[in-house]
Amino acid sequence: MRRSRLGSLIAVTAAATMVLAACGGGGGAGGGQGDGAAGVFADCKENPNTCNSVPADQLQKGGQISFALEKDIQNWNITSAEGNVFETAMALKGVLPFTFVTQPDLTLAMNEDLLASAEQTSTSPQTIVYEIKPEAVWADGTPITADDFVYNWKVQNGRDCPTCAAATNSGYDQVQSVTGSNNGKTVTVVYSKPYTDWKNLWSSGAPLYPAHIAAQQGDLNTPEGLAAAFSYFEKTVPTYTGGAYRIENWQPNVALTTVPNPQWYGSTKPALDRVIFRIITDATQEPVALQNNEVQVIYPQPQVDLVQQVANIPNVSQYQGLGLTWEHFDLNLANPFLADEALRDAMFTATNRQDIIAKTVGQFNNEVGPMNSHMFVPGQPGYEDVVSETGHGNGDVEAARKILTDAGYTGAQEGQRLTRPDGQVVPPLRIRYTTGNAIRQNECELFASYMRPLGLDVQVVPTDDLGGTLNSGDYDIMVFAWVSSPFPFANAQQTWLSTSSSNFGKYNNPEVDRLLTEAASSTDEAAARDLLIQADRILSEDAYVLPLYQKPTFIAVQNSVANVRNNSSLDGPPYNIQEWGLRAG
Amino acid sequence: MLAFAIRRIAASIPILLISSFVVFLLASLSGNPLDELLFRNPPPPPEVIALETERLRLDEPLLERYWLWLTGLFTGDFGPSVHSTLDIGAELTRRFIVTMRLIALAMLVAVVLAVVVGVVSAVKQYSKTDYTATFLGFLFLAMPSFWLAILLKQAGIDFNDAVGQQVIYTIGASSVIEPDGFWAKVADTAGHMVLPTISLALISYAAWSRYQRASMLEVMDSDYVRLARAKGLSNRRVMVRHALRNALIPLTTVTALDLAAIISGAVVTETVFQWRGMGDLLLTAIRDNDTYVVMAWLLVTATVVILFNLIADLLYAVLDPRIRYA
Repeated sequence: MRRSRLGSLIAVTAAATMVLAACGGGGGAGGGQGDGAAGVFADCKENPNTCNSVPADQLQKGGQISFALEKDIQNWNITSAEGNVFETAMALKGVLPFTFVTQPDLTLAMNEDLLASAEQTSTSPQTIVYEIKPEAVWADGTPITADDFVYNWKVQNGRDCPTCAAATNSGYDQVQSVTGSNNGKTVTVVYSKPYTDWKNLWSSGAPLYPAHIAAQQGDLNTPEGLAAAFSYFEKTVPTYTGGAYRIENWQPNVALTTVPNPQWYGSTKPALDRVIFRIITDATQEPVALQNNEVQVIYPQPQVDLVQQVANIPNVSQYQGLGLTWEHFDLNLANPFLADEALRDAMFTATNRQDIIAKTVGQFNNEVGPMNSHMFVPGQPGYEDVVSETGHGNGDVEAARKILTDAGYTGAQEGQRLTRPDGQVVPPLRIRYTTGNAIRQNECELFASYMRPLGLDVQVVPTDDLGGTLNSGDYDIMVFAWVSSPFPFANAQQTWLSTSSSNFGKYNNPEVDRLLTEAASSTDEAAARDLLIQADRILSEDAYVLPLYQKPTFIAVQNSVANVRNNSSLDGPPYNIQEWGLRAG
Repeated sequence: MLAFAIRRIAASIPILLISSFVVFLLASLSGNPLDELLFRNPPPPPEVIALETERLRLDEPLLERYWLWLTGLFTGDFGPSVHSTLDIGAELTRRFIVTMRLIALAMLVAVVLAVVVGVVSAVKQYSKTDYTATFLGFLFLAMPSFWLAILLKQAGIDFNDAVGQQVIYTIGASSVIEPDGFWAKVADTAGHMVLPTISLALISYAAWSRYQRASMLEVMDSDYVRLARAKGLSNRRVMVRHALRNALIPLTTVTALDLAAIISGAVVTETVFQWRGMGDLLLTAIRDNDTYVVMAWLLVTATVVILFNLIADLLYAVLDPRIRYA
């Protein structure tokens, strides 16, 4: 009897195990080897701007694409500080008109649907003339004119509407006047001080909101009227559109449904019946939704498991690009020991970036390499390697020791204590990272291990409050990421200028300040770029920040989806939403 | 009974106050809600940061902020969210309904399953059926809910592949574009509800079925059941009228007491299945360092848990006269 009960128990256990195994193995059976980086994205590396292309006349007529969006839309005004969210900007890409957009190869392109031309017609004062196409209209038939430029300038320049919490005043505060002529279809913008990044104004990151609807909220010649309009655009789901799509339905926290705008004036008419932005706030659920065809496009941050999971889904293609976000080690120069350039130089020389990459993002992306510029990311015009020549990031411990010895340091050996020429022992240093970020924790632990052979004790300490920690200077070394920009000149000032609020490490080099200021207020983009490269070289030599790598971006689509491709900029894959479609048949 | 209920409610007020204060401290000190703005490149103008600091009361001392929150509750003000357009009260109501729909259905399924399996296991003690039920019970008890949910999702996809059409959905409470026709809508809702309901129900079912089995065994071994049998009552009548009715008493209270566990299970279930309920609200608020939304969640959840604990006590007294008379 006892044996029989035991036998029953074993049989039940075995059966249940088999059931579970069958459940767990379902993915494999249903999956098999996916198309991986090939499939519809096979030529994306060579042709980032045109891969996965299907001509409009060969697309299926109708159908819908669901795009997974990782954040809810809480604020509809992208030009506001609160509404300037990447996901919201992607969702409204087909609704709001703009002047310039960033393409997948990170170059800028004029919006040829809206503009016939955008040119600098004078350098003193810097004057830009935009010619708006006559057929460009809002969905209610109101022409898109200089009035729209004026309204959007006023709410972002920090002067006309002080209470409008704009995402940035940068550039708009240097505009002296915006005037319209030719029935408003010619817009003349005059700058009080040259602004190298003029293409950033009214671009896809800060698109145009309709002035005629703004005027319904109040007098646009008064701060109160402007504030009322600004607030209206924050709170109100757009019923207006000046793009290829209009909003059909918004279900908070669930989905934004867009349908073609019948008044769309662009050359490429949408082939789809609908584009749905489906909100999936947990990235790990996106591959399953993709496999179950509940969404057709996902754009999550890549992780090892996620990339492998997607690779096992049949009829799905994936691609990893390298984006504008880059990881780096920052030193706090307010620490008197780190104020010594020789020590900083040695620390960066002993740091092995290739090893860090191999043990972190290299596990799921073999394209990532060390980044060698503080100003530009690889692929951007102006990118030049200014780090390798300094020897930083190569993990050369002997060279690092020599730097220290030459500078008079002693004890640069594992097990000893590094001592300054004046006899002071270098105290333990703290490297900090955001709590819960496993990749950064690894980076910190690796950094600490590279410092040990130099006699440096580096302690890894997480922080819950990255901003607070940086602002208070409560760190010796910090690892975090900057987001670079297709508009690098103002961006560089913000990041590297000694007077900037983002100068957490108290870096101060008057020559760098001069070069950055000059670069940001130039009317000659190529000359400005050269100035940034010069500043970049000095920054490298000063051993203040060590760039690590560009963070990868990841896109996966059902193979039926056409004309959707990776765009690692802040415009994201919807940069060409009007071209999206489904393969016929 | 009324005095008892009032005493219990009064006793729960200090608990609510202390827990809210502790959570407020933890939520406020765990991160800076302005981080997202401060790390933009370019960052917003300093005036914007100053305005946000003031709006979120970050310029006030911590104790003052707590006091403002507490006193604000009496006027229906839950405090400012990091998302200025968010009405916390309205959002809570919407989310509460979604979560309660999920929890109520899951509890119903779990109770029915637990009672049936528990009773059958007890009646057929040490049989193959009992062993199977016992094994499955412990298996689901030991299984992390997120893992069970992921397995269920995969099973759902395999089912769809097998039948060749979209029957089971893995995200959301309904399709974005609802199908036309009543039955199509019913099928759509069912297709979205089946996995999260099973996922949440199985976790509770596992524990409850064990309670039910133990309780049933105890009752079946009692003198009054033996007396009922001795009087010649049919087995069915003995089981249903005498044994089961009494064996259900402990389960009733356990069910009510387990609500806190179910709510925490719902946090995971809602995340995996992307339901926009209270659990999703909590996780989003934590991610955004949205202290006042976390506090609103705590307030509602703690109140529900305290209420259900009270109901459990009252029910126990109602169902078991010995408690009432004691």
